[in-house]
Amino acid sequence: MEIEQKQAPLIEQFVKQASTLNGPGPALVKLIVEATSHPSLFAFSEILSVPNLLQLQGTESSVYIDLLRLFAHGTWTDYKSNAAHLPQLVPDQAVKLKQLSVLTLAEMNKVLSYDQLLKELEVANVRELEDFLINECMYVGIVKGKLNQLRRCFEVQFAAGRDLRHGQLENMMQSLTNWLDTSDNILSVIQDKIKWAETMCEEDKKHKMEVKSHLQDVKKSVHSKVN
Amino acid sequence: MASSSSSGLTFKLHPLVIVNISDHYTRVKSQMNHSSSATTTNDDNNNGAQPRVYGCVIGIQRGRTVEIFNSFELLYDPSTHSLDRAFLEKKQELYKKVFPHFYILGWYSTGSDAQESDMHIHKALMDINESPVYVLLNPSINPAQKDLPVTIFESELHVIEGIPQLIFVRSSYTIETVEAERISVDHVAHLKPSDGGSAATQLAAHLTGIHSAIKMLNSRIRVLHHYLVAMQKGEIPCENSLLRQVSSLLRRLPAIESEKFQDDFLMVSLFSSFLNIFTIFYH
Repeated sequence: MEIEQKQAPLIEQFVKQASTLNGPGPALVKLIVEATSHPSLFAFSEILSVPNLLQLQGTESSVYIDLLRLFAHGTWTDYKSNAAHLPQLVPDQAVKLKQLSVLTLAEMNKVLSYDQLLKELEVANVRELEDFLINECMYVGIVKGKLNQLRRCFEVQFAAGRDLRHGQLENMMQSLTNWLDTSDNILSVIQDKIKWAETMCEEDKKHKMEVKSHLQDVKKSVHSKVN
Repeated sequence: MASSSSSGLTFKLHPLVIVNISDHYTRVKSQMNHSSSATTTNDDNNNGAQPRVYGCVIGIQRGRTVEIFNSFELLYDPSTHSLDRAFLEKKQELYKKVFPHFYILGWYSTGSDAQESDMHIHKALMDINESPVYVLLNPSINPAQKDLPVTIFESELHVIEGIPQLIFVRSSYTIETVEAERISVDHVAHLKPSDGGSAATQLAAHLTGIHSAIKMLNSRIRVLHHYLVAMQKGEIPCENSLLRQVSSLLRRLPAIESEKFQDDFLMVSLFSSFLNIFTIFYH
């Protein structure tokens, strides 16, 4: 979770700046553009919740609020389909949006095929895609995983979290509940297995004792028969 | 001969020393057994079943704390009742090159208690270190004994019957471990349970370990769950950074998912259940 630690001071700084700037205006717009192009900032929900920013809604710069929302929850394909209503992206912002798209894709599957990534990120070829994944995603630290060139896929082991959408909290709680139930199950299964092992050991010992005593009896009877 | 020490020095013993001494003793004893069975003579009786081995301990002394790190073997010359001095000095030089901070702190031997003849060796070492320590390992295994059969003796000048004499006094010590030592001691401790258990108790011990680990994981997840529930109800202000981290954590589940893993997993569990049945069957 080093990403969160790295982001925390940046988020604080931007939130402070946003709350001091009053009223709609180019200053807020500039702030939004600066936040979305910053190379180490991937979380925007705190900035979104600053009340001053909501004032932008309804003015001619409301596209910037939409842009911020896109960066918080959306992907590159969302941008492409909505490009007419959103302001032009500077190259830094484009790269960041693609990084965030990778994070969203990693939410669904653990194994991302190269074809899927090529399509989603609109990258020309595998070489560029791998460069992008290595330089922009893994070195920055938002994802950790293995690139499987033979199978043309990217196996994600760790992906940083994006800002939460509305329904996500319930989903998370559901997953946590499932996880809890599974581990409770395992705990009881293990306890049963321990008891089973102990009882088997006991029975085995008893069995051995019985065999031994039976053997003694047979020996005695043979001995007495011979005598 | 030995009473409680009053010198106020704290001793710290590393497990490496104990392992070294017991290893030395085991080697000598097994070589003795081997050679006596090969030559079938009976003149090894003077040592009985318990040969005495000797060696030197080295470490660091900082103020009142004496920390014994390592040890090496020395040859005992029964004719002069002393340790091989030239070899000791050679070894000391070599160890100084690798561990410049280590000094010779004393010597070790095996046996059940400190003896009079040991004082001779002790005095001989006093010119290297003015107050050497004597580490004694008792090689006889006493299953009822709960603590280590290692005693550390110091020498003190006591006046007995008007004559000032050096006698051995026991000192208490603590065991100090470096991370690497802890791992190896842990490993050795797990090799065989101390009461000589069968396969079932080993299985039970292994399962109990897993059980406690999963229980701890379970409690931690429960804490997270409660936290999220409280956040949803609004009792706690939303902390986005934490929520992001939880969502990234949940994405790691399930740990491995693919048909290939399922097949391997089923095969491995089938094999392990077969093995379990066989071991219990043949015991």
